Amino acid sequence: MAFNFNWTPLTADQSFYERAQELLTAALNKYPKPPIIVDDILVTELNLGSVPPDLEILEVGDIAEDRFRGIFKMCYSGDAYMTLKTRVQANPLNTYLSTRPSFASPEPLAAAAGLTIPLKITLSNIKLSAFIILVFSKQKGLTLVFRNDPLESLKVSSTFDSIPFVRDYLQRTIESQLRTLLMDEAPAIIHRLSLRLWAPEHRANGYNDNTQPTDTVTDPLASPPQDAVDMNGQIVDAGQIASLSLDSQAQSLFSHKNLVKLATLSDSQRTLSLFTPSMQNVVYRAWSGSPERTGLFSPALSRTNSMLANFQGTNDMLSDDGSYSTRPSLYRFGSSFSGSAISSKTGKPRKRKHRIVNLRKSNLNDDSTSISGDSGTMSSSTSEAGFSAPIQEERDVELVTPPMSPQIRRHNLHDPPEILHQLTPRPQKTEKAPFDSFLLQEVTDCEETPKQSIHREHPKLQPNRYFSSFSPPNESSVSKSQSESDNHGPPYLASPFPYFESHPGGILEQAWMMKMAGEIARRIQEQKLEQRSKHVEARSSRTTFWNDVNDAPPAYGS
Amino acid sequence: MLQFMDFVQQAFFSVTNWNRDNSYGSLNATTRGTRVFQHIWHSIDSSLALLDFSTPTGLSLALSSLASPNFATSYSFDSLGALRGNVSYLFSSRPLHIVHRSHDTPLRLLVPGYRQIEELRDPDIIWKEEESIRGSRTSRRDTLIYGRLFLPRSHLEALYLRRLSPTTQLKISAVSSSQLRSGGSILFLLSQDRAKYSTEYLYSTDTALLGVRGLYNFGPDLREKPVDTENQHIPVSTSYKPKGRFSAGAELYYGILNKSGGMSTGFRFATLPQHTGFPYTMTLTVNPLMGNLTSTYAVKAGSDLTLCSKFDFNVYSYESGFQLGMELWERKNGVPEQVDLSWAYEKLLRPGVSGWGEPPIINRNLPLKALENNTLANTEGALSASNIKQSKVVSIGSLSHETYNGVDDANTAGVLKARVNQDGEVGLLWEGRLKELLYTFGVHIDFQRRDQIFRGVGLQIQYSS
Repeated sequence: MAFNFNWTPLTADQSFYERAQELLTAALNKYPKPPIIVDDILVTELNLGSVPPDLEILEVGDIAEDRFRGIFKMCYSGDAYMTLKTRVQANPLNTYLSTRPSFASPEPLAAAAGLTIPLKITLSNIKLSAFIILVFSKQKGLTLVFRNDPLESLKVSSTFDSIPFVRDYLQRTIESQLRTLLMDEAPAIIHRLSLRLWAPEHRANGYNDNTQPTDTVTDPLASPPQDAVDMNGQIVDAGQIASLSLDSQAQSLFSHKNLVKLATLSDSQRTLSLFTPSMQNVVYRAWSGSPERTGLFSPALSRTNSMLANFQGTNDMLSDDGSYSTRPSLYRFGSSFSGSAISSKTGKPRKRKHRIVNLRKSNLNDDSTSISGDSGTMSSSTSEAGFSAPIQEERDVELVTPPMSPQIRRHNLHDPPEILHQLTPRPQKTEKAPFDSFLLQEVTDCEETPKQSIHREHPKLQPNRYFSSFSPPNESSVSKSQSESDNHGPPYLASPFPYFESHPGGILEQAWMMKMAGEIARRIQEQKLEQRSKHVEARSSRTTFWNDVNDAPPAYGS
Repeated sequence: MLQFMDFVQQAFFSVTNWNRDNSYGSLNATTRGTRVFQHIWHSIDSSLALLDFSTPTGLSLALSSLASPNFATSYSFDSLGALRGNVSYLFSSRPLHIVHRSHDTPLRLLVPGYRQIEELRDPDIIWKEEESIRGSRTSRRDTLIYGRLFLPRSHLEALYLRRLSPTTQLKISAVSSSQLRSGGSILFLLSQDRAKYSTEYLYSTDTALLGVRGLYNFGPDLREKPVDTENQHIPVSTSYKPKGRFSAGAELYYGILNKSGGMSTGFRFATLPQHTGFPYTMTLTVNPLMGNLTSTYAVKAGSDLTLCSKFDFNVYSYESGFQLGMELWERKNGVPEQVDLSWAYEKLLRPGVSGWGEPPIINRNLPLKALENNTLANTEGALSASNIKQSKVVSIGSLSHETYNGVDDANTAGVLKARVNQDGEVGLLWEGRLKELLYTFGVHIDFQRRDQIFRGVGLQIQYSS
């Protein structure tokens, strides 16, 4: 196998430079600039040089004709350079006062008079060193993420080189600005361009609809499946899918008793009722320390919150209907859930007749309750899918959380007797995609209100990957599941759980666990980063250069 | 238009005989206007008089009241997109007997326009006069405390103003906001007014900024001889009365933490009230570090018209700017233009002449409330004759020529302010009174931007009781 990287065609094309200058100008002016810069930053010169970057393939996770996933190591120390032009405010008092509230400002009479000076900055001797994660699929476009901060060093030469204070300041400011550009903007730019190249449907509608976040690439649930089939090849309609992936998830996280309690709790807050149900072994948001709220460890908690909101929505739905006639379906949910879990324990999927009630207000199906057919296997697989993914994720989060909180949380997890029973027979194989998507969802949950997250989540449901990837549940051994998952994804994405359960003491396993924990933390970070860049992209896509993209030839592709 | 709290603080300065014009910071107050409290909602250059006035954007509503002579409250709402608001309180140790109802407050006091500088008076002498009248030293340390909380943003402003001695005043203003890098900043400002010269020392906790400002007034020193404060209509023949005053000043700043500084010098020539022609003010400010020159010229072409121009030039970057401003008062329909002929009657009329026994007051619709206020002020005994002279801005009743503004206010329907600069940006402001409400309507037009000519339209409504 051989890869062929072409560097010169990029550099030979003059129109590429012009367009790249436009893109860079737009990207540099997108963020609020420091007050010392009083004009737009214009990229006047750009040259990628003749020295190509060194690429080292670290790992190829998935390769086929229409998709590719791999990790590269890139080193660059070539002769590329870039010249920027802008105007800066030379009076430090002016910039100082412009950022301060005027109430306590000294209000100088004329000492803050401005003096703007044109500034020319040349960036050269750029040294990059980064791990690049490249995910390409023909439908979803190209996603390129820098795993670490790529910028190693950079030489900034400007008109103020003789003044050391200004020179240092410029060096610092530009480096930080460039870091933002590379980490946040570059993946967004590349992704948008690749969408234009390979996904023709995005050309038509992708750019007009700016309000929709373009999560389609990273989120496998983003686009609803065209023809979703369950394990037995039966067609699943979209409403069922929605109910499957969300509600069953809620059911698997909380026992029915707890759900009722939570509903009472939320009701009591809304109605100012004096009765507050006491809950044992619950991690409250207010209790949890600050490290859990921020960064990596917030997902679990916020997820719990969103689940609550999920149920709350259900409850609203019920009360809106004016009667609790559909209430028994909740019970049925619980029972179906446990039944399927048991069935997976015994190893043979039992046919059980039950209904799935979609209690969510959905855009897809306007009738509030869509009662699905009597496909028992489908429902069992449903509960497995919904069950395995969150539990998996809870465990994964535990691996990276500090030792205090997991204790509590695990306690919480084991406490409801239903779940306690069903922890052991959990399906041992998890697809990467749902796992990732749930993490992704958590990341967004952190930033949104739960209600919003429900609505956001909704149109992007695509659980067909569940069905396609899930083999019938069996009592597969650890090794088997491991080998199976090797076929489907990178080894670290296979279920880590069996190891954790069966051989907790082995040094090898522990080392592997540590590595895996690191990998997972990294992935969460990446997902968050990617998500953020997508958000930024979606938000700012109204501005200048995305509008021009339509007439721009492909840049980084081919 | 001044906000209510600005108005109250201005009254405090008047009551405590603090000459705000005698400082370097107010060197070109005619063009820059009164900066008592800043309104940070819109921009940094807000509430400025003739050139730098701000046009309101959106709709804002302010309800204020002077609950007692010592205590004032104000609530303000601003609906620019989301609803925002602020609550402010003010306490003054000296009772402020001002016309505070929006129905009665003279517009000329509320709208800062041409700033006529007054005859310099030594604060020590004023103090002694007042002390001899009041006979107590209780009011030596006049204090003003002010606080304002911006509600959705949790932005807090606080001000502490204290008169330390007849010639010194300490002002501590603080801002607390989560958006600031250090959570807030405090500014200490110590001002000294010696009539002949004034100095200011300031320290800001933000970047540890130190500053010195000074202003020197050329001309005869007023401290030696006792000043004939009253009877200015009959000038003392022996003493020479200058028609104008030349002042020069400088300021110097240094930030300890960021090791940067700034400085400027400024000069001003302004006519005094005894100048017979049009009152005018010329200023020139120079920033030698940044090579910036700014000159302004403001002239009061009539009782209703003020014109102003400003020219900027930078000798390093050759950037220049030009700005023109205008202020035009509109009178109410049916009221003939008043001519202040009282001096003529004073000269012509002798008490015994028949037929002229009653001086024909031209403006017969002179508001009685002005007289009422005068009697009120007198009956309270808080203000002596000299005090009335000093606090003429506050109690509009005293019948010297300075009350012209207050009396005249009954006939003013509103004021139009306009400015234009070399880039074709036009700002228009119409301020007036509608029954009980004071309103300000502003438009900001940019003719260079064809796609969006109206940059901002706003209406501001004030009510105070």
